[in-house]
Amino acid sequence: MAELNETIHQPVRLRIMAALVTLEAGNEVDFSYLRNLLEVTDGNLGAHLRKLEEAGYIAVNKTFVERKPRTYVTATTEGRRVFQEHVAALEAILKRK
Amino acid sequence: MNISPNEAEEALAAIQKVTQKTRRSVASSGAYIFLIITGLVWLVGFLATQFLTGDIVGYIWTGMTILGTALSIPLGARISRRVHNPSVGAIARRAVLFWVFLILCGIATIAVTRPTDGKQATMIIILFIMIGQMAMGMLTSFSSVWWTLPVVILALIGYFLLPGYFYLWMAILGGGGMIALAFYYRSRW
Repeated sequence: MAELNETIHQPVRLRIMAALVTLEAGNEVDFSYLRNLLEVTDGNLGAHLRKLEEAGYIAVNKTFVERKPRTYVTATTEGRRVFQEHVAALEAILKRK
Repeated sequence: MNISPNEAEEALAAIQKVTQKTRRSVASSGAYIFLIITGLVWLVGFLATQFLTGDIVGYIWTGMTILGTALSIPLGARISRRVHNPSVGAIARRAVLFWVFLILCGIATIAVTRPTDGKQATMIIILFIMIGQMAMGMLTSFSSVWWTLPVVILALIGYFLLPGYFYLWMAILGGGGMIALAFYYRSRW
């Protein structure tokens, strides 16, 4: 049976994972683009990304594009699996309603 | 961890909202615009070929191709800055080599087969371009490679069954079809 995941369930982290899982596997999203998409602040997004990275659900890639530093974020295979399981658990709760 | 059905419902609604927003944002930032640009080039180019004669047709094709390329390059750069696949960058050089090889093969095929009219040459070019598009789609694991197959089928139907209206057919169903498909993607997402 699918289980809820406490790390992912936090509202901002849930939205981060939803955005990353929507992209094709292997695709990375720019930090600023993700911040604008989710309408959160730099600090807030950064803090939640660290939590997700520590849990192994996302990978952060710091690189240079046209000599400017850029941070790209992607959902890991484990992150995708855990997120799908979390969604299944949420749906199961609704079905029992 | 236990949550109420109401909380579960709110969480699922939030997920759905972000999923939709992300799809729309990614789509509007580029993928479907490429289809519109290519569709417009085909629409204008083939309409010119159907209804005009002389050097003007070549100038229109050249102008539209340059315009399409000029619009696509900054658009591609903008998309890759926002969302990109690192493995695609690693194979970019191979992709360029593949296109060079494919263009050379296309030129060689036209030289060997010596098409008797413009329609035969056009059909060969369309087939080679679609082979290239499909190969690129598969190489970069994009999910939308299937659209090349109906374009090839439609082009072949026009070529064999409607030779007198082949260019008009390609303008409306090829170019127009790409534009319609782009708006379908946009609305579906």
